[in-house]
Amino acid sequence: MATFCIAHLYPDLMNLYGDRGNLICLQKRLQWYGHDCLVQPVNLSSEVDYSTFDMIFMGGGSDREQGLVYRDLLRRADQLWKQLDAGLPALFICGAYQLLGTHYESADGKQLKGLGFFNLCTRSEKERLIGNIVLACRINQQIITVVGFENHGGRTYLEDKSLEPFGMVLAGFGNNGEDGQEGVRYKNLIGTYLHGPLLPKNPAVADYFIHMMAARKGIEITGTLNDRLEDFAHQQIKRRILGS
Amino acid sequence: MQVIRRVMAIAAAKLLICLSRLFGYHGTDFPGRVARKIDPDILKKLGANVQEEIFIITGTNGKTTTTNMIARILEEKGYSFVHNRAGANMVTGITTAFIKESNLLGNRPYEYALLETDEANVPLLLKELTPRVVLITNFFRDQLDRYGELDRIISLIKDAVRNTDIELVLNADDPLVVHFQNDTGLHCWYYGFDDTDYDLFQGEESREGRFCAFCGEELQYERFHYAQLGKFNCPRCGSRNPRRNFTGHDLRMTPQIHFFVNNIEIHSPYLGFYNAYNILAAVAVAKLVGIQDEIVQRAIASYQPRAGRMEQFLIGDKKAIQILVKNPTGLNQTLAALNTDPASKSLFFALNDNAADGRDVSWIWDAQIENIAHPSAAIKGITCSGLRSGDAALRFKYAGFNEGIITVESDLEAGIKACLDMEAEVYYFLCTYTTLFASRKILSRLARKTTRPRPKYNLAQPAAGGE
Repeated sequence: MATFCIAHLYPDLMNLYGDRGNLICLQKRLQWYGHDCLVQPVNLSSEVDYSTFDMIFMGGGSDREQGLVYRDLLRRADQLWKQLDAGLPALFICGAYQLLGTHYESADGKQLKGLGFFNLCTRSEKERLIGNIVLACRINQQIITVVGFENHGGRTYLEDKSLEPFGMVLAGFGNNGEDGQEGVRYKNLIGTYLHGPLLPKNPAVADYFIHMMAARKGIEITGTLNDRLEDFAHQQIKRRILGS
Repeated sequence: MQVIRRVMAIAAAKLLICLSRLFGYHGTDFPGRVARKIDPDILKKLGANVQEEIFIITGTNGKTTTTNMIARILEEKGYSFVHNRAGANMVTGITTAFIKESNLLGNRPYEYALLETDEANVPLLLKELTPRVVLITNFFRDQLDRYGELDRIISLIKDAVRNTDIELVLNADDPLVVHFQNDTGLHCWYYGFDDTDYDLFQGEESREGRFCAFCGEELQYERFHYAQLGKFNCPRCGSRNPRRNFTGHDLRMTPQIHFFVNNIEIHSPYLGFYNAYNILAAVAVAKLVGIQDEIVQRAIASYQPRAGRMEQFLIGDKKAIQILVKNPTGLNQTLAALNTDPASKSLFFALNDNAADGRDVSWIWDAQIENIAHPSAAIKGITCSGLRSGDAALRFKYAGFNEGIITVESDLEAGIKACLDMEAEVYYFLCTYTTLFASRKILSRLARKTTRPRPKYNLAQPAAGGE
């Protein structure tokens, strides 16, 4: 039995639309696989060493909260990038995903800087993109569907064409409602607009993170879990949206 | 021409109201919508028939119950008033409510108007009506997907009331409403609770509003009444709860709600802290209207719970209780009530994602379902139903319930029957908005069907103790 440690960045500020459900999901599944999982909250101005974590998670927040978080994150952006570039598993949802880009332009034309990890940018518009969404994603060399709920005013564009999106939109809006792309993927990092929360209804993505975390620890995850309810919930919403 | 248009609008809407009644619909938006098409000024015109005051009641939680309680008080006093009773709280539903109470010419006077109003509809409504008072119960995360973040709704409402003569009635314990006075310069009346025996010293629920609305610093709480409502102060700028005009004190919640509002003793058959707030808000408005204490007391004491607000059914010998849940705070309150009931329980949760429920079901992950996932909560079975039964089932599974006690039956009737088939002492039916009335119909039917038929010999024998 091993103990995994996941950093929850700014849980007080960045937790919209049930995003913490992703952590509940990872924690439970690790337990069911026979391991322990600690979730460590990282708050504004707390000192932290990202190399001590097995994974990083950050949820969405409102514009105001995003600004506070950006200034705090910037203090240790280099250290964070070093870990992500070395393959640290990470999940960034919605507002957190937008922060990974070069900048964010709010609906009233104000420019907010991003961490600049990726050459992507976000322009916010008044009309929000809201609704259920289905993606086709490649996870472990397999194309699978991923379901969730999106609610964002920002339109994100992957300016660097070599950047890989998290998935392609089968139904819904995705990054910007134009180019069919959703999210970004880099090594073991996923940035995405999908709330829902994402992981409970998409156990394949949850297990992808779990296997990556384990591999970096040199541990093998054995056995499979009974995903009867997870699959049911996934299919229920997929059928509803795609109508088949 | 103006008069003809008005009469046509009223006649058309009244006809539609009759028709929809005939077909058994609750449909209260549509007649108003048609009337507004025919005469866009119809609400403005009918609003002018209010002789005394118009009250708007808004906020995330408790607006229906609070409005109904104020209505009960006005009724007890014998006032005439318009009230959008069915909870149709958009501008169209409010228009319907005015037309219902109107005569064909549209000139029948009423003394008051009590308008429960959806938060995002307040600015629209204020363009057509001029109320004396806007009561804001609280701001919690609720169906955010319809409008975007809470901050936006709040600033929309602020903009709409600025530069008016409106008086605000505000919850002094909610940090998200208390900055209205500063930002709008309006006259504000505050209600809130003194320290109670039910307060917590640590908050555990969603973090809405835990930050100072003036300077962004994290607020310090001396105590929480429930959720973000409590006694707070800002360590940076010193802002704190405003001074109350109406103070709830000496609160008792068992067996039923009993407390005082500025020394007026209040009894109510209701349960739960959130209802104590609803009562307090209603009493505050009643006192602003100048209604006598005895009338307020009588009205509150006689006000009974309605559909979805802990309504009880007896199905055979099984006790069933139906509760409306629509957001994390309301669900947490319900779970807290479940925790205080030692009886063994079979739980039913119907989750829909229609527009009125909120399209986004992720709010169930913001509720602390974990709080009932322990043996002393005595939950023997969980049946998940509705269009998003799968999401509901997952939430319970990941809260720590054994998968073996979770049943999924998307169809409401099948789900209700599955829940009742479990062995338990009490059956709780938690329903989101659009599953509420359908489930209630099924529960009522089952309750009727299983009422024991009177034994035949009773007909021939005189009733015991009859003479």
